[in-house]
Amino acid sequence: MKNLWKILGAALVGYTLIAGLLFDVPRLVILNETIRNLYFHVPMWFTMIALLAGSLVYSFRLLRSGDQGRLLDLNRDRQAKAFAEVAMIFSLLGLFTGMIWAKATWGAYWTADPKLNGTAVTLLIYAAYFILRGSIDDAEKRARLAAVYNVFAFVLMIVFIGILPRMTDSLHPGNGGNPAFGNYDLDNRMRMVFYPAALGWILIGWWIAQLRVRLENLSAQ
Amino acid sequence: MFKQIYRKIHGRAPSFVTEKRGVSLRNPYLCHMLRWKAVRHLLYWEYEMEYRRSNGWFLPVLFTAIVGFLCSLVVRDPSPTTWLALLWITIVFSALQSAARAFAATDAEWLYMNQLVRPGELLLGKALTNTMNTLVVTWTGLLLFHLWLGWPAQGPAEGSTIALNTGFIISISLGAVAIASTLSFTAALASKIQRGTSLMAILSLPLLLPTLLVAMRASKLALLGEPWILLYPNWIGEIVLCALPISLGALLFPYLWRA
Repeated sequence: MKNLWKILGAALVGYTLIAGLLFDVPRLVILNETIRNLYFHVPMWFTMIALLAGSLVYSFRLLRSGDQGRLLDLNRDRQAKAFAEVAMIFSLLGLFTGMIWAKATWGAYWTADPKLNGTAVTLLIYAAYFILRGSIDDAEKRARLAAVYNVFAFVLMIVFIGILPRMTDSLHPGNGGNPAFGNYDLDNRMRMVFYPAALGWILIGWWIAQLRVRLENLSAQ
Repeated sequence: MFKQIYRKIHGRAPSFVTEKRGVSLRNPYLCHMLRWKAVRHLLYWEYEMEYRRSNGWFLPVLFTAIVGFLCSLVVRDPSPTTWLALLWITIVFSALQSAARAFAATDAEWLYMNQLVRPGELLLGKALTNTMNTLVVTWTGLLLFHLWLGWPAQGPAEGSTIALNTGFIISISLGAVAIASTLSFTAALASKIQRGTSLMAILSLPLLLPTLLVAMRASKLALLGEPWILLYPNWIGEIVLCALPISLGALLFPYLWRA
């Protein structure tokens, strides 16, 4: 059963679509029903990070494949590119779900919040990655330079979105004493939907990225 | 063969090309990978070239002066926040100007340098040069801001006194070093692409944002005369954001240079 994980991913996402919209959730002031956004907004970021990590691994493997005078394995380059592309789609989805939620609870689509800035920077960094790819014609050179930039950018991005928001106050859940999915805040009933949602979306994202890789491989032939 | 060519040109054997194999206590592994003599030679060479070029180090300094003067024309009596924001914008774009030139060399020069030194040494030498250039540009910018814009006036909402202090100089300088270390790597990357200078801003500005945010917070706290105990965490952040790109660059640079 090679494709079991794809069926699992589809089943989990299907389950969370129903459970996330219909199951009982804790009644909290201000948040009200928008608390259900946890099932749809947060898994997007988990998926984005997982796919970007996949892209990083492929970039590193591309660089290693050129060791000892061997030819670069351009397959790895296509994989890194496709994973980054799909990650950016998930980043945009996370951004939009977050913006709708912010309008309902904070009253504005966009605030100068550290988490939002982190998202904007991630999008900018990977936009630069795609522009870098677009501006080099030679395939080998493009693969190598893009991989180097990908590894460099990923680490700095993790520093930016992982460490800096914790150093400043923020309105975002999980910061500055606001409830989020910490041990004490997350209801057990919500956990039964949230964890499958995260896993399901990561699997679906991985599947989409692999389909894109196959498409790229076909068009490269 | 390379040694013979070198001897023909210079009349003596290349002193830093000969290397001992093996690791000893007097020559630990890292020092073996990076020969300080080679780095020193690169630095010397770099400054010799800068001095001889008519538009050498003067270009980024002039850029700083022009941008600083523009700022002084646009804003009168800025608040501390505005003053600092303008200063950092000037520093970042001057640093971009200066870093974009760091890896500019003809093919023949590259061939020569690639034979003399290893990739890690090249990156370290260039990063050191770039850091010093950026520091010069930063201090020039600070001086010119002081001259043309004056010291920021104390706004009604700000509680603390504003004075030039050591903490401010340290915050600004550390920030400049951190910016230079990121820019050295992106400049190396951009130098491999045709028309790379225009691409460099796009590649490096998103990567510079974490550094800039930490540096701005540190310098703002210092400008408002906060005690050093509040500044230390930001300085540590600046040092980390300086060491991170350098170590990442040292790891990735050999792959970049194989092309």
